[in-house]
Amino acid sequence: MTIINVSIPFGLVKDIDDYSKVVNDILKHDITFNILKFSTGSAGLNLLLDIPEEKVKTITESLIEKNISVNKKGRVIVDIDLCIDCGSCISLCPTDALTFNGEERLKFSYEKCIGCLLCIDSCPRFAIEEL
Amino acid sequence: MIFLTKTYAEINGKIKNGEAVVVTAEEMVSIVAEKGTKVAADEIDIVTTGTFGPMCSSGAFLNFGHADPPIKFENLWLNDVSAYHGNAAVDCYIGCTRLSDVKRFEYGGGHVIEDLVAGKPVRLRGNSYTTDCYPLAEVDTEFTLDDINQAILCNPRNAYQRYVCAVNSSDRTLYTYMGKLLPHYGNAHYAGAGCLSPLSNDPDYETIGIGTRIFLGGGIGYIIGEGTQHSPSSQFGTIFVKGDLKQMSAEYLRGVTYEEYGTSLFVGLGIPIPILNEGLAKKTAISDAELFTDIVDYGIPRRDRPKPRRINYEELKGEYIHLNGKKVKCSSLSSFYHARKIAETLKTWIQDGKFFLNPPAETLPTTTIFKPMKQTLKLNFVKDLKKKAEICYEDCDIKEVARKIITENINHIVITDKNSILKGIVTSFDVTKAIAEDKKDLGDIITKRVFTTFDDEPLSNASRKMKQNKISALPVIDENKKVTGIITSEELM
Repeated sequence: MTIINVSIPFGLVKDIDDYSKVVNDILKHDITFNILKFSTGSAGLNLLLDIPEEKVKTITESLIEKNISVNKKGRVIVDIDLCIDCGSCISLCPTDALTFNGEERLKFSYEKCIGCLLCIDSCPRFAIEEL
Repeated sequence: MIFLTKTYAEINGKIKNGEAVVVTAEEMVSIVAEKGTKVAADEIDIVTTGTFGPMCSSGAFLNFGHADPPIKFENLWLNDVSAYHGNAAVDCYIGCTRLSDVKRFEYGGGHVIEDLVAGKPVRLRGNSYTTDCYPLAEVDTEFTLDDINQAILCNPRNAYQRYVCAVNSSDRTLYTYMGKLLPHYGNAHYAGAGCLSPLSNDPDYETIGIGTRIFLGGGIGYIIGEGTQHSPSSQFGTIFVKGDLKQMSAEYLRGVTYEEYGTSLFVGLGIPIPILNEGLAKKTAISDAELFTDIVDYGIPRRDRPKPRRINYEELKGEYIHLNGKKVKCSSLSSFYHARKIAETLKTWIQDGKFFLNPPAETLPTTTIFKPMKQTLKLNFVKDLKKKAEICYEDCDIKEVARKIITENINHIVITDKNSILKGIVTSFDVTKAIAEDKKDLGDIITKRVFTTFDDEPLSNASRKMKQNKISALPVIDENKKVTGIITSEELM
């Protein structure tokens, strides 16, 4: 399974039926998937979806066609100057975006971050912020 | 009898001549594995250790000098963090876990210490009831570390020999001094530097005691005795340390906040261990695989928490630990990178002839027992105060629930099936709401996800559960989910 971040602009979803249509659009690809997170941002709705690896391409294409943006971008930043390499955040990261490098210093892999934000309040130095 | 192969004087002589052979405790593991303890004891003079982790029992004594006219503080605050004053006029103790009166969890005593060491100005506010010799009633000023007299880091309990690995079996995320613990064993956190941990490298305290010179916060410090809660028999030894804050560096003293727990201070500490004999060569070669600790379930909020199993630091330092047949993601709370840097720095200081070893006047005690608190008030449990639950079956109608609320003069009706298994709860407010919204079916107003308690839960825990979840009653259930009573906020008042 792969996690994607789906942003639906407010204009596209006016009521629950519109939302159902978006979900149905994904379901029609004959898959089961997990909605890991549902949130509202300044631009619209954000869905964090866990979908089968092999369907990422087709689902992404069909969503983009409807002006829904799909990305796998991270949603946090780590301030290395504040970080003390303690490791408290690592056990909370479900995608190994936060790991130790060979000399036990914190390494953040932006491309692996799915924006679940579980790490944010685990940092004793307030070094992790939502982008 | 231990045969001494080297003395402190000989080792210090070598340091003076730049001939001392110093390695870190991490390097010692492979040296002994390769050469054996005999050769290692002969070749190696000193093994350096290090640890860098949150040490809540840390703080500093400060002396500000006298104001004009003089003041004897009754209360004082450093950057809005209350400091303890109970001794002479302008002395105080700032403890690292004390929260700011203004910023609360964002800033505490640990942050004040970091700011002082970093050279930042700190605001001092204080007041007094005034005396004939100390007439000033209030002070509001700003100072830096250079402006004051003594600034002594004085930590009654540092450098735990080892620490536990924390997990959480409960069904909610816990915010603890062991960090954020996800429900259902969702993650694991451990502390301690493993093979670099100072006290683990001399577990019988042959060379560690009052007067031992150490690396503390980036400067030179001293062990001034056993730490509080020192528990040598369970390998949970601790040390009481002091050092001059003015020599220290903010790199090794960092204020931290654990969400919903509070503030603390990361302290960098390293002890040099002289290899006086072959036994010490063997002890300092201890590896992560040989150092064990307990996994402890913080989901049970009692003093004696369940310990699912023992685990060594080698497994802890891997990405996952195995627990109940499940892979649990595990990470540290303390920094091994900085622990290694401390051991390396101490090694360089000794090699450069800047740091000499001091034999302890007295070594740490090896028989101290860590006792629990004596509580004179009897601990009350849910079973002591629970009352009979008024029950309706899940197929009854709202009217019957309403009737029972009136006849029994209560606010909570527990809903069960015919076998007394909990199905939900309905309050008088729910019934009122049903009338207002014209709802007829019990299913529309029942709360199905019910917070519960059990007979042997301490009352204080049950009451915290109600407060946290903003509810006023908890059904009491047994291990089969059968309702055996109810406890409401009225009983707790």
